[in-house]
Amino acid sequence: MRPRGTLIGLFALLACSVRLAGAQETGIAVGSRAPAVVVHDLDGAPVHLANYIGRTPILLEFWATWCEVCEALLPRVRAAHDEFGDRVAFFGVNVAVNQTPERVRKYLASHQPPFRTLYDDAGTSIRAYQAPTTSYVVIIDRAGRVAYAGTGAEQDLSGALRAVISR
Amino acid sequence: MSPRAIAAAAVVFSAVIAMPLPAQDTTAGRPTAVMISGPDVGRRAPAFRLPWANKEGAGPADQPYDLALDRGKTVVLAFFPRDFTNGCTAEMKTFAEQYDSLFGPEVVVVGISTDSLATHTRFAASLDLPFRLLSDPRQEVARRYASHDRSGYMRRTVYVVGPDGRVRYRNIRFNALDPTHYAELGAAVRRSRGG
Repeated sequence: MRPRGTLIGLFALLACSVRLAGAQETGIAVGSRAPAVVVHDLDGAPVHLANYIGRTPILLEFWATWCEVCEALLPRVRAAHDEFGDRVAFFGVNVAVNQTPERVRKYLASHQPPFRTLYDDAGTSIRAYQAPTTSYVVIIDRAGRVAYAGTGAEQDLSGALRAVISR
Repeated sequence: MSPRAIAAAAVVFSAVIAMPLPAQDTTAGRPTAVMISGPDVGRRAPAFRLPWANKEGAGPADQPYDLALDRGKTVVLAFFPRDFTNGCTAEMKTFAEQYDSLFGPEVVVVGISTDSLATHTRFAASLDLPFRLLSDPRQEVARRYASHDRSGYMRRTVYVVGPDGRVRYRNIRFNALDPTHYAELGAAVRRSRGG
């Protein structure tokens, strides 16, 4: 490559590196392919997301028992499940930071969230889905692409699922 | 290298930097681009002084936190985006509740963000934090530790400074939800204390 081309290429590479470095807490990109990771449930049994990705829409919420925002979001998760639970796989990925399986079980018994609970003590899905915080929700469409990623207590999960289902 | 070639390269650089990030519905505040630099492992940790607060209130204005005064101790510097946000609460709460296993006695832990001392005091009290929070509103120290971000909120990074004043460990992409990052941090602190 000529020196001019080399220089332009280096600048472009540097610029891309700078952008990636800045994308630390933004979550996974909408439109990207959903990572088919393996996460364990509370009993230690492996759950292969590959068995669901590309076959059915999926809602993943990264949550913790100590997360007040997650608790505030719970009514919206319930409402979304009431409307779409027969067509969408709901998973709640407990982030396992400052948690124990016992504490999670106790929370599940008292709050009964409408999702299948996974316990990511290895951080596998947290890294794969670039979870920046708890209350982080990722919705994956039937084709296995990320259709939505958001955080907070005011997320319109039913609206996001409706858009995915109607595609 | 001709001026035209340099100009063309600069145009490519600017164009890539200016491209918008993919549309996301995250509300935590989107960091913008930042150049990764800061002291690498083995390098001397840049000296700094910053005002501090803990759960009981702001520290004396004439007695800021001074990294140089902690020479001889292991120091953990935790830069984080913002008080009372979910990720920062997760991180600081974990530090507090696992303080003994992650850090242990005689280790100095300080959290650093752009928040005011008054906000730091409320945040520290809400989580019963057993360590100080430093205020760096203009990100002057953050800039020297690769933790500065143009969004106005710092990047989440962690440094372990050894008793000799050199960086023993750093994670410039610390994820507040990743258990492996806490395990790595704890191991680095133990190595520093042992060394």
